[in-house]
Amino acid sequence: MKNLFVKILFLVFISQFVYGQISPGDLSNAHKDLEGMSNCTKCHALGEKVENNKCLDCHKEIKATLIAASGFHGSADVKNKECIECHSDHFGRNFKMIKFDKDKFNHSKTKFELTGKHKVIKCEECHTSKFIKVEKLKEKSNTFLGLETNCESCHADFHQGTLSSKICSDCHNTEKWRPAPKFSHDKSKFKLLGSHKKVDCEKCHIKGMKKGKEFQKFTGLKFKQCLDCHKDIHKGKFGTNCEECHSVESFKNVKNIKSFDHSKTNFKLVGRHQNVTCNKCHTKGITLKLKYQRCSDCHSDFHKGEFKKKNKTDDCSVCHNENGFTPSLFTIANHEKAEFKLTGSHFAVPCNACHFVDEKWKFKFQAINCELCHTNIHKTSLNYTNGIIKNCESCHTTEKWNEIKFEHNKTKFALIGRHNNVLCSKCHFKDEKLKHQFVTVSTNCESCHTDKHAGQFIPKYQNDCSTCHSPESWKIENFDHSKTRFVLDGAHQKVKCAQCHKPIEKEGNKLIQYKFEDISCKSCHT
Amino acid sequence: MANKIHQTLVFLAILIVIATFVTLWFWGGDYYLLPLSEKFYHENHKILKSSGLIGHGLGIIGSVILTFGVVIYIVRKRVKRFQKVGKLKYWLEFHIFLATLGPLLILFHTAFRFGGIVSISFWSMVAVVASGVIGRYIYQLIPHNIDGNELSQSEISKLDFNLRITLQEKYKISTEIINKLEEATSNTNREIKISGLVLYIIRDTLHNRKQLKYINTFLHNANLSTEDKKEVLRLSKTKLSLSRKIVLLDTTRRLFGYWHVAHFPFAVIMFVIMIVHIVVAFTFGYKWIF
Repeated sequence: MKNLFVKILFLVFISQFVYGQISPGDLSNAHKDLEGMSNCTKCHALGEKVENNKCLDCHKEIKATLIAASGFHGSADVKNKECIECHSDHFGRNFKMIKFDKDKFNHSKTKFELTGKHKVIKCEECHTSKFIKVEKLKEKSNTFLGLETNCESCHADFHQGTLSSKICSDCHNTEKWRPAPKFSHDKSKFKLLGSHKKVDCEKCHIKGMKKGKEFQKFTGLKFKQCLDCHKDIHKGKFGTNCEECHSVESFKNVKNIKSFDHSKTNFKLVGRHQNVTCNKCHTKGITLKLKYQRCSDCHSDFHKGEFKKKNKTDDCSVCHNENGFTPSLFTIANHEKAEFKLTGSHFAVPCNACHFVDEKWKFKFQAINCELCHTNIHKTSLNYTNGIIKNCESCHTTEKWNEIKFEHNKTKFALIGRHNNVLCSKCHFKDEKLKHQFVTVSTNCESCHTDKHAGQFIPKYQNDCSTCHSPESWKIENFDHSKTRFVLDGAHQKVKCAQCHKPIEKEGNKLIQYKFEDISCKSCHT
Repeated sequence: MANKIHQTLVFLAILIVIATFVTLWFWGGDYYLLPLSEKFYHENHKILKSSGLIGHGLGIIGSVILTFGVVIYIVRKRVKRFQKVGKLKYWLEFHIFLATLGPLLILFHTAFRFGGIVSISFWSMVAVVASGVIGRYIYQLIPHNIDGNELSQSEISKLDFNLRITLQEKYKISTEIINKLEEATSNTNREIKISGLVLYIIRDTLHNRKQLKYINTFLHNANLSTEDKKEVLRLSKTKLSLSRKIVLLDTTRRLFGYWHVAHFPFAVIMFVIMIVHIVVAFTFGYKWIF
């Protein structure tokens, strides 16, 4: 009995060892559910080691690739090989049944040769569950199965189904998506010509968002007219057919320039502008936008800023028009609005008489006075300090030089009597013609008048003509003979002056004798 | 002359074991050193793996050698008909040789996979071999005659006495020195327990060194030829060894009895597992070249 117990104990003891002989080691993690003696034949065929069929009964995805001769397992390298040759087991839980040098793996054996960017990226970037469509394979971590070779199986359709072709490789290669190297615009309805070839795709194919994703429009674009893409800077003035004037080479190369109707622009060519060659104004190219609102945008300021007011210059058009710079459009009426209003004879004066100074046109003057244009012929002959004469206008008007408005009565010599009727020149133009004398002219009568009496009253009556004469007349009306040495009385009061004062000739001068040395009777009476 | 042939064969046997190990290690060491999970991807895995051409072959040859080594020894020992065939000592040595070479080949057959449940078969084999080595040492502690059969107490005493006479009469060794050599036997009246065996052997070894040193000093001054001196020293060593064996006789005999109890079941387990292993391998189609 005791012996039997020992034997049973022994059998129990060695039974563990026996199981050990059946399983040569732990299965890998992937196969851990197959541990146990009852599962041996799920992989092992009795007498036949491990058969492919056993493997493929479970690994249907591999079986499918073998049948379809797709992927790496469908390649000649794998064909006719036993699964166990590459994928063994019973090497412990941590054993990796799939092991290969990812860097050296010849991907072309999978019938998907890695080219371009595909060569650079990591395996896991493609071999990830999100690109696997088969649900069962999705669940498997680190699987290299389940990918399709078409681009869209991994890459999102950036075009969101808007393109007619669904084959990415028609336009793209694996080097880079942008720009699509295999795409030829010539195959499209809009061939790229001229400068269109140099334009960035995004210029026409605008990037934006569609359905919450980045999107670039390549279809459904209008392209029949230039204006479908280009902005009409002419705002419709020249119609919609840009090609009448422009070519695809460049907007700057304008054709049919001679027939160009400038009047359709904002700047109609008028007057002499019509005869100017285009490049005179369009110096930097015919299509370059020009300033044209002011003449000075093209023309240099002939007047060199003379008309600048508070840093602003009146436009030339105030005085000129397209018909020429001369004659000026500046009218007398305009001049009336100027600081110096035209009056009197100035109306008749040509512009250049005043404004053409020293061979130059001059319109801006420091101070405006008569002497700016007129020569002061009086020079020092006038006294400007006495408050009577301030400037030319104290005496002259713009009507005539000769018309003197001078108030002579303010002077020391008020014009009385016949003096009012005497020409100025009678007194002030002496000796030489146009030699004016004003302050130098004496107020004495003899400074103007000739002493007809040949000095008979000198020295007693010198310069005192008024003793006998008045400014009204030379006639003696008020002479009081009684104040003389010879008082008139009696019959003398009735005697005419000439009866006593008779003309004589003295020293060659004919004169009437008023002064007598001898006043005795006999001097008159015989 | 027979002794020389024996020594040569022993040397040859050792050489074969070492050469086998070196050759196999040199050829597949890098594979065997790999962690289990990496072995599959080694370039020589296909031939060196347990089911490979080499690996499987080593397993089969090793098993055959081991089985043969065990069977012939058992037959020689147990079957009456063969008990007179050759000296048991030589059969034991041949048994040890084959039971070393066989497991060595099996060791390489395992491709040094010691982990997991499967390793139990290996470790059971290791246990058999290790117990064999230990058994061989215990066996040495028990005096045997030239045929390898155990000596009785009286035979040992007789042998010891003869040694004493030889030393005394032939080489004129003084009684004092001989007593020194017999010191261990005379001083030990108590029984050595199995648990204290190792400690005793260590102490005795150290003690014997002292004795030999003393004898050496004596021989240095003795009027003996160099050859005689060598012979005296050899006899002294034999005498010391015999003294130890006399002291340990009961203990070692008891221990050897126990050892048999362990060595045999290990061997049985090993063979049972081996058979199961072979059956399973064949069942699953692992037939080597067949």
